[in-house]
Order: sequence, then structure tokens, then C-alpha cells
Amino acid sequence: MSHTDAPVLRLRGVHKTYRLGEHVVPALQGVDLDLYAGEMLALTGPSGSGKSTILNLAGLIDQADAGQIELRQRPIEGLSETDATLLRRDAIGFVFQSFNLVPVMTVAENVDYPLMLNGTPTEERRVRVNAMLAAVGLLEHAQHRPDALSGGQRQRVAIARALVKRPTLVIADEPTASLDSHTADQVLDLMREQGHAHGAAFLIATHDARLLKRCDRAIELLDGQIRSEA
Amino acid sequence: MNLNFRWLQFAWRNTLRNRRRSAVTVTIAALGTAAILLAGGFAIFTYESLAQASARTTGHLIVAKPEQFSKDEDVPLQHGLDGADALKTQLMADDHVRQVLPRVEFSGLISNGDKSTVMVAAGIDPDAEFAVKGPFLKVSAGEVLSSAERLQVMLGSGLAKSLKAESGSSLTLMASTTEGALNALDVTVKGIFSTGIPDVDKRLVYTDVATAQKLLGTQRVSTLGVFLDRMDATVPLQRTVAALLPKLQVQTWEDQAVFYRSVKDLYNRIFGALGLIIGVIVVFVVTNAMAMAIIERTREIGTLRAMGTLPSQLVTSFALEGLVLGGVGAVVGALISLGLSVALMLFPVQMPPPPGRSDGYPLNIAIDPTLYAGTLLVMLALAMLASAWVARRTVHQPIVDALAHT
Repeated sequence: MSHTDAPVLRLRGVHKTYRLGEHVVPALQGVDLDLYAGEMLALTGPSGSGKSTILNLAGLIDQADAGQIELRQRPIEGLSETDATLLRRDAIGFVFQSFNLVPVMTVAENVDYPLMLNGTPTEERRVRVNAMLAAVGLLEHAQHRPDALSGGQRQRVAIARALVKRPTLVIADEPTASLDSHTADQVLDLMREQGHAHGAAFLIATHDARLLKRCDRAIELLDGQIRSEA
Repeated sequence: MNLNFRWLQFAWRNTLRNRRRSAVTVTIAALGTAAILLAGGFAIFTYESLAQASARTTGHLIVAKPEQFSKDEDVPLQHGLDGADALKTQLMADDHVRQVLPRVEFSGLISNGDKSTVMVAAGIDPDAEFAVKGPFLKVSAGEVLSSAERLQVMLGSGLAKSLKAESGSSLTLMASTTEGALNALDVTVKGIFSTGIPDVDKRLVYTDVATAQKLLGTQRVSTLGVFLDRMDATVPLQRTVAALLPKLQVQTWEDQAVFYRSVKDLYNRIFGALGLIIGVIVVFVVTNAMAMAIIERTREIGTLRAMGTLPSQLVTSFALEGLVLGGVGAVVGALISLGLSVALMLFPVQMPPPPGRSDGYPLNIAIDPTLYAGTLLVMLALAMLASAWVARRTVHQPIVDALAHT
């Protein structure tokens, strides 16, 4: 795939190490990566290969030790905690393996939460939440609590929550790992469909072979380095 | 929907996640609030009762020569007031003044012919005194004094017992005159009373002003007690009277109420310490409940932070949970206190006599809006601050660590 636009996410020579007691564990060793708008990029590799670390750095919830990271062509080094939070709020959606919905909020409130945070007007929020819930097929469950939903339904709520604010980048960590194969297929279709509809780029960490096939590109990581790209 | 209301709604729902823990927290906050309000209400009732009793005894304002308040007398009424009637007329001109009562204070001996004992006596204007003060003495035998009669006395019950006197008995009062000579007057016992303080009842004698002045050989009075239409007029009237009578000194009832000040000082310390202890307990309970809730929700905190929630917003959210817990507890505690206070009004409970007293008193709890508002606000503030303090560390921990929390 060739791209003429600038990448949404750009990593250059990114290093990250973790300290476990007296041991220093290299998690990433000079990773370069570009992700473009509307693209779905899978990160694969064994446990400890650096997939989650890349997600954390790209999602601005962790900081690299060395290298450059740009989100929407803006270097993120040196961002204050508040600025990083506001950038996440505006530009990044998260889909977690175990859904991470807020149990005291209804389905609609979970989806509405990112819009509430970024100050979207009430009426616009209502319209967008309903549209997103309709898109993921959960409008009739809008007033239910997450614990009343199945695993697949919860992940659809999580996807709706990640996409409702029309983010530039969606970070998804093993989004199908907790789902059966049929539900996983539905969730993948939904991610692709909604991602394309909103022009969001997806950065997905996965072991799921079916998910790999549906992504535009896949990068295989090993010991914190890119082993192959397809 | 209003954003603040939405946060409050989430806080309310979060408190219901672990109902047993929230119930324990609310119960302790309620009991703490009720304890503070009941103790505070009891203290306020005691202060008000003592204040009214003090003002009723001396008058809201006491007018005398400055030396009367600061120096001992070499002879009776050395520092007494002349022209008491003219002064009374001047003072009565103010609309707030209900009555001005002269008082002649002296000491001497009282005898039944066989036995003499020390007395502390007060010459009063009986009709005006009883009209203004109401039944301030508990008359156990005979009747109260009358302004129309002279050479009559009322004895404290202990003194009457000591002198084997009863209503109608003849006694002799002996005292030094203003010239330093010893004078004696034969008097008749009109009645026997009790002040509720046995030590006072063993010495106290009331007679009328004219009899006292005749015994002491003077037309002076010791003080003039100024009785006002309401307590809160005391301080403004003090300034007015002081300006009206620049050569005299005007004290308030509180200046003379040593017992009132002592009780207030003691109760303030006792109930202040009690309030502090209860406050600390409430803070610990709320802190403990919130700490458990926050640990359980660490991963959720990480999720909310990842989605772009500022740490300050999460701290506010947890403070609102504290507000809900503390608020519900405080309101329940206030209702408990209110219910008990009203119940004590409807079904009076008599307390045993305090040390040094012979009479008990009804247990009453004042319902003071300021106390209620202040206590509720303090409880809310403590619960909010405790919750925010506990939350602040967790919401600032690295998001990656919070998301990995199990």
C-alpha cells in the first residue's frame, strides 16, 4: 500500500526498557513504524515481544526512553501530563481486551463519556451516541448496565466508546481475545466498517490469525524489534 | 444533563457498589454527627439556661460606682449609689428597659435569741423583683416579701433550719452601720426559700431595701440592676447607659457570671475535644472505605485516565463520593438528633442535681440552626477532603500500572 499523506502515527528509533529489580529488560530496541489514516495495522509476536509497549507509547500512556514519536505530525516528547491527557482525550480511542467498561454507567453513558469529557454539546452528544449505538447494534440496550450484556456486546460498546469521538487513532489490545470466533468476526467487521467510516487508524496488538488477515498490514515483533512486515 | 450533576450521579452509583461498606460508613458518620449535635445542643441549652439565670439574678446590666466592682468596702455601702430613685427614672426612659431594681448587699449576724450565725443579706424591692424575675425562689414555707411591708425577711432553708425558724418567727438582724457602729433590728420571718444551692441556703437572707437601709443607717444602694426586654440588647444598652452615666460603671450580666463563664469554658473544652475525636473517627472511617473502593477500582481509574480524564477530575469524583457518604450520614445523624431533641421536649427526663446543688434539672437539647448547619458542613468537608486525599495518589500513578492492576 502506498501513501501520499503524512502518517497519523510515526515512530523512529524508539527504545524502551523496563527495570525488574536489578534487571534491565529491553522492551523495544529501535522500532520504526508509520501508521496512516484509515489504515488497520496489526502488531503480532510472542509475549514480551514489545506489542503492548508500542501500544502504550502510541497511546500516550507511557513514555519512550529514546527515539521520536509523532502523533498527527506533532512530536509528543516533553508533553506535560495534562497536555498528554488532553491529546488522548481528543485524538485516541482505546479498545481493551477485557472491555474495561465502567460498571456504574449505562451502555449509553459509557459511550457518552468521551464526549462528556471533551465538552461536546448535550444535544450533539445524544445524537452521536444514539447513532454509534445503532451502528454497533446496541441501541435497544442503551439503558442497560454492562454487566447485563454478553462479552461480544460489551466489546461492541467498547468500540462504540472508542469511535464516538471520531479519534485519529484507535489503540486496540487483543480486542478479540475474550470472544468466541463468531463474536470475534462480528467485532472485527464492526471495527473495519466503523474505522473506515470515521477515517480512524487502528493499531492492534493480536495473536488472532483471523484478525491478522483482515488488517491492511501486519508487523511481527520479536525481542523488541521488527522481525517482518507484511 | 449538567456535567456536575452527572459526576454526582456517578458518585452516588459508586457508593452503592459495595452497599455493606457504604452502610457502615454512613452509620458511623450518622452516629458521629448525632453525637456532636446532641452534645452541642446540650451545651447550648446549658449556656442559654445559665445566661438567663444569671441575667435574671443580677439584671442584664449592673450599674454601680467603679469602686463597687474593684475594691472591698471598709464599711457597708462605702461605694454605694446615692439618688437611686433619680437614676432609676433616668434609666427607665429607654424603651428597652423593663425594670430597674435597687439592691443593697450587706453581711452581718442573725439571731433567734439563743443562737447567732453569719448571714449574707440582700435588700430588694420585693414587688418589682418578683414581677420581673418571676418565681426565682423556691418557697418552701410562708410567703414571698411584699414592698408594702417592712421588717420582714425571707430565709434560706439551711439558715432557717439552723435557727429553728419558721414562718412568723421573730429574729434579730445585726450589722455594722455606715458609721461603723453596730445596729440591730427585730424582724419577722415571712417565708423560707431554697436557691437550689445548699451552701447559699445556709447564709442567704432577703429583706426589703428600706429595712436594709434602716439597719445600715444609709439611703444608698449597692447597685442598680437594669432588666431589658431581650438579651441581645445588653451590649448596645451598656454603651448607651455608660454614655448616660459617665461617672458610674456599667457591667453586663456576663461580667458578673463567674459560674456561667466557668461552665462555658469547661463545656467548650470537653465538647470541643469530643467533636475533635468524633471528627477524627469519621475521617478514618471515610478514608478507610474510600481507600478500599479506590484499590478495587484501580484498573477502572487507569481506563478513565487513558480515555482522557484529568487526575483532578477523578479526585473531584472521589471527593463527591465522600460527599455522598458523609452527606447521607450527616443528614441521618441530624435527623436522629432532631428526633431525640423533640422527644425530650415531649417526654421530659429529669437529671440528678449537679455537684453542690440540691435540685435536678430537665434534660433538654437545644435545636440550634447554626450548630446544625456548621456540623453538617464540617462533616461534608471532612468526608470530601478525606476522600480526595486518599484518591490523589492512585489517580496520579502511571496509567500503565493502573491498567495492569488485578
